[in-house]
Amino acid sequence: MKLVRDVLDRFEPLFSERGVFRRFRPVFDAGEAILLSPLDRTTVAPHVRDPLDVKRYMTLVIVALMPALAAAVYFFGLRVLAMVIVSYVAGGAVEVLFAVVRREEINEGFLVTGLLFPLVLPPATPLWMVAVGVAFGVLVGKELFGGTGRNLFNPALVGRIFLVLAYPKTLADSWLYARPQAFGDVLPMDLDAITAATQSAVDVMSSATPLVAAKNGVLVPLWNLFFGTVSGSAGETSAAALMLGGLFLLFVGVSSWRTVAATLGAFAVTTFALHGGSFHMTLWHMLAGGLMIGAFFMATDPVSSPMTKAGRVAYGAIIGVSSALIRNLTGYVEGVMFAILLGNIFAPILDEVFINLSVRRLREEG
Amino acid sequence: MRGGFNVPAAGLPPAGVEEPPATDRLLVPLTSRRFTFTDVRVDDGQSVSAGQVLAVDPDRYDVPLLAPASGTARLSEAEGHVVLVGLGAGSAAGEALLRGGPDDRGSSATTSRLVELGVWQFLSDARTGEVVDPDAAPAGIIATALRLEPFLAGGEAQLRGALDRLARGLTSLAALAPDAPLFVVVPDCDDPLASELRETAVALKGAHVVVVPLRFPFDEPAHIARVAGLPSGLDDVVWALRAEGVLAVDAALNEGRPATERVVSVAGPAVGEPVHVRAPLGYPVEGLLHGRLCRQPARVVNGGLLTGETLAPGQLGLDCECAGLTVLAEPTRQTLVSFARPGVSRRSYSRTFVGTLRTDMAMRYRAALSGELRPCISCGQCTDVCPAGILPGVIHKHLYADRIEEAQRLRVDLCIGCGLCSFVCPSKIDLRRQLLAAAGELREEARTIRAEQAAAEEAARLAEESEPEASGPAGETGGSTTGAVVEGAR
Repeated sequence: MKLVRDVLDRFEPLFSERGVFRRFRPVFDAGEAILLSPLDRTTVAPHVRDPLDVKRYMTLVIVALMPALAAAVYFFGLRVLAMVIVSYVAGGAVEVLFAVVRREEINEGFLVTGLLFPLVLPPATPLWMVAVGVAFGVLVGKELFGGTGRNLFNPALVGRIFLVLAYPKTLADSWLYARPQAFGDVLPMDLDAITAATQSAVDVMSSATPLVAAKNGVLVPLWNLFFGTVSGSAGETSAAALMLGGLFLLFVGVSSWRTVAATLGAFAVTTFALHGGSFHMTLWHMLAGGLMIGAFFMATDPVSSPMTKAGRVAYGAIIGVSSALIRNLTGYVEGVMFAILLGNIFAPILDEVFINLSVRRLREEG
Repeated sequence: MRGGFNVPAAGLPPAGVEEPPATDRLLVPLTSRRFTFTDVRVDDGQSVSAGQVLAVDPDRYDVPLLAPASGTARLSEAEGHVVLVGLGAGSAAGEALLRGGPDDRGSSATTSRLVELGVWQFLSDARTGEVVDPDAAPAGIIATALRLEPFLAGGEAQLRGALDRLARGLTSLAALAPDAPLFVVVPDCDDPLASELRETAVALKGAHVVVVPLRFPFDEPAHIARVAGLPSGLDDVVWALRAEGVLAVDAALNEGRPATERVVSVAGPAVGEPVHVRAPLGYPVEGLLHGRLCRQPARVVNGGLLTGETLAPGQLGLDCECAGLTVLAEPTRQTLVSFARPGVSRRSYSRTFVGTLRTDMAMRYRAALSGELRPCISCGQCTDVCPAGILPGVIHKHLYADRIEEAQRLRVDLCIGCGLCSFVCPSKIDLRRQLLAAAGELREEARTIRAEQAAAEEAARLAEESEPEASGPAGETGGSTTGAVVEGAR
């Protein structure tokens, strides 16, 4: 602790009013804030504050993403880590640039975006594309709206959509078949045996995602979807890892259970109806594609979702229903991303509606 | 009952009340939270008797500040204080004068007797917390037997062995305003004192008993006024007082004793041995804190943890509205990556620390922001904790964008200032201050508008009486001024 303080004190003059790097004061402040707890005091009542701050709030999201990141590295190799590093560097540069120009603090929200973004990309996405995508997402998805807390859309999704629209061909070629590579086969069960059946069928389109395969009449078994031994975005394939992290986030109360339950519930009901009452297909669709990462980690972003409780239920329902509709009734094989952006668009109006209702109730109460 | 939260703070005082060590001087402050006693009625060096008027507040219904003991007054010794030295040396004649016993004057006379005897400091308007007009008939009376804000002296400290006096005080109060419903707020818990208190309250004739769970801030008069459905217009006055207020009413009306002492808590995370003390007004703050502080540097708060004000640097003695001194250590030590630790010894409103699972543990809070100021991330915790059922985060966003009329639409006036929203906010936004400021501004605006309308109507009426055709312009002037006030208020 003392050592860290001493080192910080040594570099402090460089970032002070007269220092060479005075414009980069936010970088120093962010570094200090991450290393050492602040000494800021309360000035007015209440004189004490709850120990939870935004830093911890965002840190818990990152902690919850760890199982998914581990699964991604396990299935797609260390390349995923390289993508994460590139994403942090490129997105961080945009964040720092805006903080310096605006003379504001660097916000912690970026740490979540920087990790979430590579996890929703195909695992073989070129690294330069990761950099371009995250820069676009942070710039257009967040900074142009005024920074964290004021953005309308989830920045990671904005970056993802940008890449999908800008480089459809490259992205489509970037899918890999999931195969334990980084650390050898350490999963307790014999996954090769489980996957063998599908392997042969999918051989023709070796790296097609389960949803693409399904459009072509090949269904990947549920177990593969559950553990993640399928093709897909780096962090979205393992439903088990995502649920583990997602349930942790729900337990600590960082993500809203209303959003998650409404999203998954509405998706299940709609899919059940579209598939003529097939439980198997409903479960299959819930585990396939980006639904899990979307419902647990993307839709629950508090900034771009509604503030009101009822609004969060409606928002989740919109996302769930529209993902199912896009997946099954349009030319797209996956609809979760678009559905969440659609939900983001609806969020302010949903808030408006439910705030008006609660104001009316308050008026009646007197 | 929605929202509310008991801040798990360590450093609560035990139930008993102690007598403070003797002092040779009292430093009576001429200001307190609501009062400024500018009209000093004693001369430097004058000998005063206990209960004599030291000063009055001319702006607030001439409420007097009474001498807590007999002695010699010194005015220049400490700025903003009347210092009493040579205590107990004065004549006892003044005291005898005041011990007139219950009188048989009318009810307004008795209200003025409460003012005379220094009890009016104990009353406030339930909705606004302001000083109540003694001449205005109340629309209701709320007597709260408990005080749930951490550290402050509540009923458990004041009511032991005093329930008969409480009952007598409540009866006297009800007699002051026979038309106003009396609400007695008692706690919902298994404590023997609490059940005795409930029985006492139920036995009172005509009193409505409100049983509230022991969760802050369900004891707040503003909250009770709303739950009880009392009228909330600009002119409606609802008397609110705590246990010590009712006991002071009893002492004044039934024994003729002036209210010149208070039961205060000296407690908080930085106090080694927290206590309740029965001390006269002006008792030196230094004397109360002496030998009790266990952490430095410390901040002394006049009032509770969530709504108190930092003790003014110049204030040397106990003021006439103090309910407790809360002492907090200032943060001095930084910890390495504290936000990423499990937090075994931390309690939080959220479930984001391991310590949350240990429900028996209290936390030693410091006067720290515990994080950096950030824009609102819409987490919704303020809405969950708000006992008034309003949306502090949404109101904050409107106020941030200078849209006070939106704050009005979202019923910022219902804010009771409990401070829980600021407490739980992970972005460390000063929601309480922003909401209270907006509510106060809107109330002032409404009063100004109404006063101007009344003036305009009066002018119109006068003009009509003298020459009928002049009434139009007078009305117009009133309207445009009103518009200017609305603009200016932003």
